[in-house]
Amino acid sequence: MKKILKSIMIFAGIVLLLSACEDFTKLTAPPVNTGTADFSRFVVIGNSLTAGYQSGSLFESAQKYSYGNLIAKQVGTTFEQPIVSDPGFGSRLEIKSLDPFTLVNNPIMGTPQNLNYPLPYNNLGVPGALLYDVLNATSSTTCASYVFGGVPNPMFDLILRNSDTTATPLSQFQQAAALNPTMVILWIGNNDVLGFATSGGTSPSAPTDVNVFEGLYNATAGAIASLGADVVVANIPNVSSIPFFTTVGPQIAMGVPWYQLAALGVPGLFYQEHGNVGPSQTFADSLTLLTGGVLVTLKGSSYASLIGQPTGKFYRDFGFPALPPGIDTTQAFGVHPLNPWPDALILDPGEITTVQTATVQFNDIISSAAETYGFGLADMFSFFNQIRMNDFTGGTVFDGITFTTFYVVGGLFSLDGVHPTNQGYAIVANEFIKVFNSKFGANIPLIDVSAIPGSLNFTGKVRFENGFAQFPKGAFDHLFF
Amino acid sequence: MRRLIVTLMLMLGLGTTSIFAGGFQINEHGARAMALGGAFTAVVNDASAVYWNAAGLGFLEGSTNFILGTAMIAPKSSFRGVSPSVDAYYMENQVFYPSHFFITQKFSDVISAGVGLSTPFGLGTKWDEDWVGKYLAVETELRTFSAPLVLTFTFGEQFAISVGGSYSWADVLITQKSPLTPFAGDAFVHLEGDDMVAFGYNAGILWRPSDVFSVGASFHSEVSYEFEGTATATGPSQVSSQLPQGDITASLTTPMNIQGGIAVRVVDQLRLSADFQWVAWSSYDTLAVDFKDPNIDDIASPRLYKDSYIIRFGAEFNWNDDISLLGGVYYDKNPVDPQYVNPSLPDTDRLGFSFGVDANLFENFGLTASYLFIRGDQLTVTNSKETYTPGGSPFNGTYNSSAHILSFSLYYTIN
Repeated sequence: MKKILKSIMIFAGIVLLLSACEDFTKLTAPPVNTGTADFSRFVVIGNSLTAGYQSGSLFESAQKYSYGNLIAKQVGTTFEQPIVSDPGFGSRLEIKSLDPFTLVNNPIMGTPQNLNYPLPYNNLGVPGALLYDVLNATSSTTCASYVFGGVPNPMFDLILRNSDTTATPLSQFQQAAALNPTMVILWIGNNDVLGFATSGGTSPSAPTDVNVFEGLYNATAGAIASLGADVVVANIPNVSSIPFFTTVGPQIAMGVPWYQLAALGVPGLFYQEHGNVGPSQTFADSLTLLTGGVLVTLKGSSYASLIGQPTGKFYRDFGFPALPPGIDTTQAFGVHPLNPWPDALILDPGEITTVQTATVQFNDIISSAAETYGFGLADMFSFFNQIRMNDFTGGTVFDGITFTTFYVVGGLFSLDGVHPTNQGYAIVANEFIKVFNSKFGANIPLIDVSAIPGSLNFTGKVRFENGFAQFPKGAFDHLFF
Repeated sequence: MRRLIVTLMLMLGLGTTSIFAGGFQINEHGARAMALGGAFTAVVNDASAVYWNAAGLGFLEGSTNFILGTAMIAPKSSFRGVSPSVDAYYMENQVFYPSHFFITQKFSDVISAGVGLSTPFGLGTKWDEDWVGKYLAVETELRTFSAPLVLTFTFGEQFAISVGGSYSWADVLITQKSPLTPFAGDAFVHLEGDDMVAFGYNAGILWRPSDVFSVGASFHSEVSYEFEGTATATGPSQVSSQLPQGDITASLTTPMNIQGGIAVRVVDQLRLSADFQWVAWSSYDTLAVDFKDPNIDDIASPRLYKDSYIIRFGAEFNWNDDISLLGGVYYDKNPVDPQYVNPSLPDTDRLGFSFGVDANLFENFGLTASYLFIRGDQLTVTNSKETYTPGGSPFNGTYNSSAHILSFSLYYTIN
């Protein structure tokens, strides 16, 4: 018996000894060469594009893929963000059905996850921020949308967290300065033109004045330059390269029987030109709609199915107290001059010119400020224009996946048609990394875009009419850019 | 004594539903052979000879021999990557119980026969549902069962040959995830199939010119399985019509094995043995799953296994009349080109160390207990053809694997 016990002991001892052999050699990841760039205190300042906003909401599973966070992971630095649990802050758009294509707003609100983080966040992107706000806004009621339009933007309270401190309220810039940053990305100015564009040129009725923009941008750039950090700025993409403006017009061109309507004397879609709220003789024929001569916004998708019907749905949905003088909703919507397609749902050729002129002027201001202060420049304008051009020759391939700017199917833009998907943000992050690599002699590896998960969320039931996507009433009301 | 064996058989019989193992080929067909590092084709001194080399049946003591046992395999694997990242992922712990049972009977001085049941091939790997390689493998299980029937012709004291056939059956389960980008979330794909009827054949030869020296060889044919089954996929209802579902067929050919060995009794108490096993893995070139629905793309993933070999050494020391100490070591060459290594079977070159005790407990009744530790060589893949993203990014990284195996066999001889 003793012998057997002894054998068992020896046996157990050898098993233990061999278990130790399971261990394997240590591996270390190759160090990232950041060149002369120092990412030890990395801050990004901007709007929704910087916040990592997607599908009309700021939510955790998307914030993880904000370009700032992706870059921080790539260079291995800490990066705190104002995380909001899914489905986030701002009734997220979700897909009820793919065929027919139908969206809904998720009515559930997420909760902030790290309000008590003791320092300013590294991600100081505030959805809805205008250029004015970087230096001036400290709360929902000191931001440009409230000061100039009376509309508070609660995102400032969520991200800047000034209300619960007795200290002096700090702006985006001041919070960045408090972090004593070594590297700053500034991507601002998009909303100074997008607010005009997404409202069909109605609210505000013009982009930010170019002289005002120039003064504000130079002041902001100068302030950031004074921090002594390395800085990279990005410019403003063209609105006609994002699906919010490029999706519905071609659908109307293809989906409405214009050929039959022509026989009845209808030349095209009657629409209100800039500033007009009454009847209109102005029209866009199907070719103009198809080729982007006018840009129907994504908000118009829900009304496109009503073309040809006597309806005043737009005026009810948009809260008009009474019909504007001359409008006759017993006439066929969109194909009769007395019930034209509303100005708020379309950019007419003049408005398109306004938007494009402003974009070019703003980008010139951004470029010359970058040159003045020695900032790196990520040329998002040219980058997205190139991707848009590639749409018509099969798309653009990133890491084995073909992307286009087409709504939903293109993979680049989230359901709001303005903000990128997870993969879209990874592509944006890579553009910044390319700037770091060339400007600072760095060799930061690009993000594998194909390893980034998808981010368009599915939900329950279905509503669909006449082949046009149906958006819930007010689906885009909470859209902060 | 017979009753005990029957009881144990029934107990293990209930367990046969969970017979499967880590590693694709399972060479655990008896605790004694395992303890000797598998250097057993020239030894074959228990009823597991039905598998190892049935030519030895005529030389067994007694007229009828039984062996019944099971192994407990606890494989471990890790993956660190995807390069340049070195994040570590660990395969989930599972224990597998491939069991074995053989009976031999001498009908005359010349003719003997044997039947049995064991699991010559199988694998079982399970990774976390959300791990980095989830589009390559989540859970993979393959079980094969083989029931050999062998006939042995013994010519005098020195020479014997055997021929036989085997009836085999197998089932397979493959689950993995499938990306839905640009949409959030994944689809979960589950493939299941079986083939209840497959046949193989085998042969053996043994020459024992003297009491101190023997040499033997055995042959096991390849076995072709045609699995039939179903694929199911779960995901958001909005994309359900796009997911691969329906009846499937898949084929798998397990490789031919040729093993030869010698055994030498160097001193009275000590016998050394050495074997060389050739495994014709090149039969396994593609893992192909065909959907009967022509609208669904078939899955074909190249494996391109190469023929491989195992070198085995064993030693048996007779402590006294009742107790023997056993030890062994082997080297198992990885049949998979590193560029095709897949986490469903993280295969690398392996070194096995084994030892065991053989105890004659009562007259004609004995027990063998053995332990085997397998260490897989650390394998760093830098040119993987396995892709883990929808864009086709290579699954480069570092694999480590090891396994602990305990095995017990009860044997009984009727004179």
